[in-house]
Amino acid sequence: MPETKRFAIVVSEGTFDKAMMSMMMGNTAASMGIETHIFFTFFGLNLLKKGAKPKMPGIYRFFTGMMIKKMKGIGLEGFKEQLDMAKDLGVKLYACSTSMEIMGIKKEDLIDDVTVLGAAAFLNIGVESEMQLFIG
Amino acid sequence: MDKNDTLDAKGLMCPMPIVKLAKKMKEMPIGATLELIADDVGSKEDVPAWCHRTGNQLIGQKEEGGAFYFYIKKSQ
Repeated sequence: MPETKRFAIVVSEGTFDKAMMSMMMGNTAASMGIETHIFFTFFGLNLLKKGAKPKMPGIYRFFTGMMIKKMKGIGLEGFKEQLDMAKDLGVKLYACSTSMEIMGIKKEDLIDDVTVLGAAAFLNIGVESEMQLFIG
Repeated sequence: MDKNDTLDAKGLMCPMPIVKLAKKMKEMPIGATLELIADDVGSKEDVPAWCHRTGNQLIGQKEEGGAFYFYIKKSQ
C-alpha cells in the first residue's frame, strides 16, 4: 500500500456550493485512504454550526432546493449527511478560533467532534500535507 | 470473471461510487474480488485511481450496455 498522504482544505465561504465541494473532495480523499483535514474559517465557519442549512450564493439561493433535489437524484446526500459521512470516514474538522470570536460563535454552537484552533496550528498540518486546497 | 460480491453503483455520480466502493471493500476479506458496476463516465478514471492509491488490484475492466464493470481484488 502506498504511504499515507495528507490533505489540508481551507473553507472560507459558507454557501451551499462551497459546502458541498469541501465535503465531496474531503470524503473522496478519505475514501482513498488519504488523511483529510478541513479548516473552516470566516463564513465557512457557519457550516459547522448545529443545524446549518447552507444556501446557494446571491440570487441563486432560490434554487438551493432544486440543487438539493438534483443531487439526491444522482445519489448525493445533503450537506448534513455528507458532514456525518465525513466524521464516519475520519475526516478531521477544525474551527478557526478568530472567526468564532468575530462572528460571536461559541463552541457549544458548533457540532460535536470539531477541534478549535488557530492559523498556526492548521498551517502546521498544511505544511506536512502533500496536498492543500482553498475553497472560498 | 470470478467474483465474490457485486456492488451496483449505477445511477450514482462521483464521488458516491468511490465512497461506496471504499466502504464495501473494508467489509471484504483479503484476496476476495468485488465486481463494481457504475455508469458515471468519470468512474472509468476514478476507479483505477482509487485502486492505485489504496493498493488494491484492478484485475479486470469492461464496458457493456452503457455501464462500466470493474473487478477489484482486495490486496490488503
